[in-house]
Amino acid sequence: MFLIIKRLWQVNWAEQWQYRANLIMYLLYWLVSPIIYLAVWTSIAKVKGDVNGFTVNDFTTYYMVLLICDQITSNIIIHTFAYKIQDGSLSGELIRPIHPMLTNALVNNVAFKMLTIMGLVPVWFILFFLFKPDFSSVTLAGVLLSIPAMVLAFFTGFLLSAAITSLAFWTTRVYSIHEFYFALILLFSGQFVPLTLMPQVIQNITQYLPFQLLIYYPVQLILGKLSAEQITQGYVMSFVWFGISLLFFNWVWRNGVKRYSAVGA
Amino acid sequence: MHTLKLLSAFFKVNVQMALAYRADTVVNILLNLMWLGWELLSLSIIFNNTETLGGWGIGELIALLGVFRLVNTMMIALIWPNTEKFNQSIRDGSMDYTILQPVNSMFLVTFSRITVWRIWDLILATVLIVVGVNMSGGTTTALHILTFILLAITGTLIIYSLWIVLIALTFWFTKFDNNVTILQALMDAGRYPATVYPVWLRVIVTFIIPIAVATTIPLQALRGELASGQILMFVAISVASFWVASKIWKAGLRQYSGASS
Amino acid sequence: MPPTISVQQLSKTYQVPEREGGFGAAVRGFFKRKYKDVKAVQQVDFKIERGEVVGFLGPNGAGKTTTLKMLSGLLHPTGGGANVLGFTPWELNPEYLRSMTLVMGQRNRLSWDIPAADSFLLNQAIYRIPDDEYKKTYKELDELLELEPLMKKPVRNLSLGERMKCEIAVGLLHRPKVLFLDEPTIGLDISGQARIREFLREYNKRTGATILLTSHYMADVTALCERIIIIHHGQLKYDGGINELSHKIAPFKLIGVILAESNSHDLSKYGTLVQNEEDWEKQYIQVKAEDVTRITSKLLADLPIHDITIADPPIEDVIEQAFNS
Repeated sequence: MFLIIKRLWQVNWAEQWQYRANLIMYLLYWLVSPIIYLAVWTSIAKVKGDVNGFTVNDFTTYYMVLLICDQITSNIIIHTFAYKIQDGSLSGELIRPIHPMLTNALVNNVAFKMLTIMGLVPVWFILFFLFKPDFSSVTLAGVLLSIPAMVLAFFTGFLLSAAITSLAFWTTRVYSIHEFYFALILLFSGQFVPLTLMPQVIQNITQYLPFQLLIYYPVQLILGKLSAEQITQGYVMSFVWFGISLLFFNWVWRNGVKRYSAVGA
Repeated sequence: MHTLKLLSAFFKVNVQMALAYRADTVVNILLNLMWLGWELLSLSIIFNNTETLGGWGIGELIALLGVFRLVNTMMIALIWPNTEKFNQSIRDGSMDYTILQPVNSMFLVTFSRITVWRIWDLILATVLIVVGVNMSGGTTTALHILTFILLAITGTLIIYSLWIVLIALTFWFTKFDNNVTILQALMDAGRYPATVYPVWLRVIVTFIIPIAVATTIPLQALRGELASGQILMFVAISVASFWVASKIWKAGLRQYSGASS
Repeated sequence: MPPTISVQQLSKTYQVPEREGGFGAAVRGFFKRKYKDVKAVQQVDFKIERGEVVGFLGPNGAGKTTTLKMLSGLLHPTGGGANVLGFTPWELNPEYLRSMTLVMGQRNRLSWDIPAADSFLLNQAIYRIPDDEYKKTYKELDELLELEPLMKKPVRNLSLGERMKCEIAVGLLHRPKVLFLDEPTIGLDISGQARIREFLREYNKRTGATILLTSHYMADVTALCERIIIIHHGQLKYDGGINELSHKIAPFKLIGVILAESNSHDLSKYGTLVQNEEDWEKQYIQVKAEDVTRITSKLLADLPIHDITIADPPIEDVIEQAFNS
């Protein structure tokens, strides 16, 4: 098993390395929104002193850490896999004795992640000098605690996206569904603004959804904004949602493959 | 006259294509409405926490959203699909046919794909602008509205010229199919007034990838913040950039046909 | 009347960057590129009169497509000149573009997602064809190519042969006076090739259009062209009648022999033995044209001949020999 993963890694790393120019463009594309939100909110906080208790530095540190967390927990499976189902090239992978999603696609995503993070590091330091955030509230314990939380969040997010990607077995409009899913993340994860500034209704719904685990929870962990109780609660949620998404993905995938082979694609 | 005829021919072909994918069109319109909802929600969240953003009120930001959507519609309805077609035609060689048609090739490359359903977005954008202007309740004069329209056109022309330059580069660097990503990436910066951005970002979106020139600046004209000298300057810049772009395009075509080698 | 196409000393030299492998070489190449000159077409001269159908032959990479691209205006030559219908092609004068067409067998002009009919109407607008003239031309093309059943289907649902018919038709809607056809039958099956061929012959007869075509299929050329131009390594090798070709550069005949008994006799002393896979019963000997009578009578005298034939060698072989000489 280890050898398989090693080989898969070599292949997928080489593949992603080929596309490094595209990757830089992707990184740029992805960077713009958080920076704009940062600029918008800090400009408001500057005028008013604080926004519901959030100072300029609170916003700056929030989005600076968000850049890292979002990059670690997000994935691109919809773009690298859905077309394989649609054009039938999945068939070749299905007859191999390894799971197409949970090995090859997963390793491919991790390779992609490694490369984008390599690209992000210098950009992040440039932004650091441009915005000069004060990270004094960050503790080592918070950072260490955030790592397993982000790994769990990555897997949860990956499984959910993989389940949505698998809807391609049924519909050609899987990209539209994914766009809707993307909007949900934007609304409930804390990507736009720290969740406590969102309308109360949205905050209430957020409690019952996994999306805040992708961004808001790890960011707050790193920034040392959570009480021990909140941390425990977050971890429990992380495990519960990981379990749910694993079951959900398996169910969708199994039925999808059944359908795929029935149609004879 | 003939240009109009050609445009309507392109339009018809693209309506045909849209009809071939009817259900997708409906889904796309729904998604578009969803994003409009999100844009309005995010504005309301911002203005729940403040009265002004960079000195602009909510009405003005709604109007800005309208202008942004106008520019964005041009991007989505024309620029992106035609870029895709252009890159494809360079790859598979059908660019040869484009050059051999007895019509200005820049025109062909700009209008051969039109995402037809996006037209309704123009109406939506106009509504947003009208509502926004009314909400801001300012003393908008007819002159301000005229300069606003003028500068929206010149700003759009500047972005269009930049696009022509970016895709023309493909004639020199054939593997350059990321040619418009930079434009795409910075598009979102047009949603908010450039005045709230830190200086370096403002410089980028005003001078390098001039999204703000087509969004923030026309709106400033609507608020009557621009002097007539500035307005003339933007008109001059847009004419100049269009001229430069068409020169570069022609040079690109010469490169493609090997005149320089 | 001046010739429809006249080409003088036409030359095209490409500068191809020389690349070595590896990252270091790529970086060095970025700053200082080494170029290699590739002479695709070298001082080619020919004239084609109105209404002629000329086959343009040569092996892959001989410079055929480059020449066609220069004549249609896509490429600027590096030397020499050309005049087609009174225009210099690469000036891309709209009036010139409206009076000629270039059809490339491996390129698509039609949009994949929509029925051909809509692409036809778009081209009507682009070439400014008045409605009545468009209808007339379309009717003619439909008569010859049976287009009507294909027009309503999206192009991607057409077979290769059907698509090629539409591609050729869309290139002819504006009634061009000059047709440049680059491999118009490539990839088609035998009957598909035959139909296109028949159509081109008929079209040439009806409209008096001048046609210059390249093809890999010799049958295309022998069926359509009385005259052929051969280039090899960018140089003109032959320009003249297809029938005279064998006399001029390869004055050989093929003698085919079937022996009454087993094939134990050694025929190589009579001439060069030639392989022929299609007709393995027969043995072929290639001899000089002036020796045919002498050797034939010798064969008949020496050997138990069951059947004997004398023929021109296949044009492929003649050209092959011309290139290797």
